[in-house]
Amino acid sequence: MSSSWETIIGLETHVQLRTKSKMFCGCATAFGAPPNTQVCPVCLGLPGALPMPNGAAIGLAVRAALALGCTVHPKSVFARKNYFYPDLPKGYQISQFDQPLATNGTLSFLAPERGIVTAGVVRLHLEEDAGKSIHDRFPKATAVDLNRSGVPLIEIVGGPDLRSPAEARAYLQTLKQLLEYIGISDCDMEKGSLRVDANVSVRRAGETALNTRTEVKNINSFAFVEKALTVERDRQIALIESGGAVTQQTMLYDSKENAVRPQRSKEESHDYRYFPEPDLPPLVLTPEFVAEQQSALPELPAAKRDRFVATYALSREHATVVTSNRAVADYYENVVRAGAEPQAAANWVMTEALADAKDHQEQLRVAPGALAQIVALVKGGTLSHQAAKKVFGEVAAKGGEPRTIAEALGLIQVADSNVVAGWVTDVLGAHASEVGRYKSGETKLMAFFVGQVMRASKGKADPKLAQRVLEEKLTAS
Amino acid sequence: MSVSREEVLRIAQLAELDVEKEALPELVDNMSRIIDYVAQLSAVPANGTVKVFVPGPDAIRFRADEVTPAHLAFGPAEFAPDFKEGFFVVPKLGQFE
Amino acid sequence: MSDAKAVADRLVKAKRLNALLTPPKDLRKSLAIQEAAARPTGVLYGMPVAVKDNICTLEFTTTCGSRILEGYRSPYEATAVAKLKTAGALIAGKTNCDEFAMGSSTEHSAYGRVLHPLDKARVPGGSSGGSAALVAAGAVPAALGSETGGSVRQPAAFCGVVGIKPTYGRVSRYGLVAFGSSLDQIGVFGRSVHDAARVLSVISGRDPRDSTCEDRDPLRLPTVPESLQGFVIGLPKEYFPPELDPAVRRACDRAVRLMKELGAAVREVSLPHTPYAVPTYYVIAPAEASSNLARYDCVRYGPRFDGRVDLRGLYRSTRGQGFGPEVRRRILVGTYVLSAGYYDAYYKRAQQMRALIAQDFRNAFDRGVDLLFTPTVPSPAFKAGEKLSDPIAMYMSDIFTVTANLAGLPAMSLPIGRIKGLPLGGQLVGQAFLEDEMIEAAYALERVVPATDEA
Ligand SMILES: [Zn+2]
Repeated sequence: MSSSWETIIGLETHVQLRTKSKMFCGCATAFGAPPNTQVCPVCLGLPGALPMPNGAAIGLAVRAALALGCTVHPKSVFARKNYFYPDLPKGYQISQFDQPLATNGTLSFLAPERGIVTAGVVRLHLEEDAGKSIHDRFPKATAVDLNRSGVPLIEIVGGPDLRSPAEARAYLQTLKQLLEYIGISDCDMEKGSLRVDANVSVRRAGETALNTRTEVKNINSFAFVEKALTVERDRQIALIESGGAVTQQTMLYDSKENAVRPQRSKEESHDYRYFPEPDLPPLVLTPEFVAEQQSALPELPAAKRDRFVATYALSREHATVVTSNRAVADYYENVVRAGAEPQAAANWVMTEALADAKDHQEQLRVAPGALAQIVALVKGGTLSHQAAKKVFGEVAAKGGEPRTIAEALGLIQVADSNVVAGWVTDVLGAHASEVGRYKSGETKLMAFFVGQVMRASKGKADPKLAQRVLEEKLTAS
Repeated sequence: MSVSREEVLRIAQLAELDVEKEALPELVDNMSRIIDYVAQLSAVPANGTVKVFVPGPDAIRFRADEVTPAHLAFGPAEFAPDFKEGFFVVPKLGQFE
Repeated sequence: MSDAKAVADRLVKAKRLNALLTPPKDLRKSLAIQEAAARPTGVLYGMPVAVKDNICTLEFTTTCGSRILEGYRSPYEATAVAKLKTAGALIAGKTNCDEFAMGSSTEHSAYGRVLHPLDKARVPGGSSGGSAALVAAGAVPAALGSETGGSVRQPAAFCGVVGIKPTYGRVSRYGLVAFGSSLDQIGVFGRSVHDAARVLSVISGRDPRDSTCEDRDPLRLPTVPESLQGFVIGLPKEYFPPELDPAVRRACDRAVRLMKELGAAVREVSLPHTPYAVPTYYVIAPAEASSNLARYDCVRYGPRFDGRVDLRGLYRSTRGQGFGPEVRRRILVGTYVLSAGYYDAYYKRAQQMRALIAQDFRNAFDRGVDLLFTPTVPSPAFKAGEKLSDPIAMYMSDIFTVTANLAGLPAMSLPIGRIKGLPLGGQLVGQAFLEDEMIEAAYALERVVPATDEA
């Protein structure tokens, strides 16, 4: 049914900035402290307390804005967003409204159906986080923890430029990758340091006007982004096809049921009564400050990928995988710098290194120099590929020098033709009938003989040499 | 009356204030008079080019990113109306989620 | 007899004014402790300073004259209070005020009205009426108040004492319970210009906890000048309307004549947007207040006025019962002017008008005027109850004082005579951060004005 429908999605992403202290007070931001122990007059909203902005948070926000190609405004204004909620201590959130920090950026990403898509970033602004309301701690009561109250956030408002749930996922993946790259956030959705809300609407293919949209909230894991949006899209299409109309509302995603349900609406609509925060003068950024943030930015993923294609002659796909994460990209370059052939190094990084990291808390356990040595040993014929994998595993688990380990494990390939000839003679002697069939033209049995030689040598024979000796003996006799 | 009864009730809801029925007529009257009074501002020829005046410093000063929590002479348990196991406790949210 | 005991005795003697919210027992106990801890090297060593109840102190509760903060003890103290203590002053209890500083008569306190020290049927002015009354009664030489639209100068005028509101950003607001954040400043009362000025000097200066406080050294106290030679005093004609109380006009005329005799040049100036100051103020102040008072939701502190099971009901009953009628009214007005559809017509317009009002002052100062002189209030202290039923009539008593708050300028009131025994105040308005010039002129005027005579 969805083929005649187009989906319009825009994401609003909240990202916790990586700072030691909160946005407007000196309380720690560390995750996991006992409740209400990282609080002070400011983040408790005590009478008379005033906010004092964290320069590092502002710097990180500017870096994010620059990385997204936004216009960073030399003057922006904090504003109060007024609403009542028990975990919002002041009864307002300090945010930015009509004069945000940055506007008008873009994010290019690889969309599953449309190739490279450049989505707009409407605005990026700074704000403080609220605390946490816990509804299942006490019966008939809500428990409030204000440790998170006042933690610095940026909100990145994406344009309505995404055309499918899968695209939304790809966009978010790319955004996350970018923000991790520039080191402004750990972007951990499970810890709440990356949160995403989505505006979703549908229209019949060919229409240009935007229809009524809903906001989908409570998507609290990366895995749910696509699912939640698919459910909401299908709901809207089914609704319209059955003659109904979409109403503007907030839908909450329930991951257990894989369903959305409308947020029980308060009797009055939101009226946040934004006005300029009188406790804070304008946020003025000097050109020097912005330039400082610009120079603190590392090479961004897209630029790095292009460079890897150009410098290391990797395919675009391989370059994309190798640059997906800044640590992996740096690792790859160190392996190459240590002397490994670039394509072979990429193959090793993409397979063994990433697989090992996945099983070991994302740690790249084999030092770049060691991996370069393994690559060289394979290339020089000293280790078979199979043997090299074993060596990699050993080095990862126990450390040490690959060559020494290979020797200790007896994995060095035997390239002495006399020794190999001995194994060949044994194999041919043991398989007289196969020898006969080979000689009568069944040459594909060569692979069988090679395999038997490898087996007899316990993997130590150089397979190429074994084949040459086999060919010699089978034609000679 | 420039402010209606319904408007006063809507605003009171937004401000989370109970308004007693008996007090409502006087409140509507007071609000209307105050709003009428301040409405004389809109009679002034609007000048869109007027720059907003904000007293105080021209620009924010940045605080260093250091963990330096302001001292509390005593903790939340001492001033909170209901505090249990380290949490502020409030009745369930009712029509909120 | 120790100083602390004498201080406490004087304050307790003034009990009938209902100006002090601190119970005598707590006061005596704390003063004894403070006296033992005070630093003898401080410039205010041993000086008792009473503090308005909307300024946070560790020694005493901070209720802002409201039921919603009944019994509230702050776990931290205001920067101004900390500076006073460092200077050796004794925090001499908390003074009664209009609830959250909203009012001009100190009748809007949940803890009862404050009486005028000279006529108990009259109000001491407000909202810092308790501080003004205690200084006027001789119970303390100085006290802290707070200003949003004249809450120090107006009661100073009514009670016949000196009241100074510094430039916005001169004194840290950290620990001053916010009413209208862009207008609020801590101010001081003194028996004399000198008492007020030296307390102001101590509490002024930079504070890393208040972004709106200027990064400046504390105010340097001027010396008492021999004359006012070289001073140009402007008289804004809008502050002397035909309907001005003739006694107030006579007292002002006399003060102007005395300043001229001291060598000051006097000229008339115009601040044309003055008529819009009160409506501008009554949009901006309530708008900010509606947001500043949202934190009183009984989640983290303050009593709960409940009887209902869900949170929203608890919010509404607590805020409905915890706030008095004037505060409720202003929260509603403020919420209204910020709400969708009204923001541009009210709040934004008021912001623009505020800019024009500030520009009026700059224009006057740019034309060579050093200071402005005006009456502080259009009339002497009014009778209790007189303006309670008419909020706008009450608001009009701020007409000459709100402009300095809107423009962020320093201003002060000092006694310039009496009518039928009731004090009258004259106001000096200075240029931003030039409190020293304003205080210099006040020193000179104070020496020559016969404060006790009928004008
Ligand atoms: Zn804090």
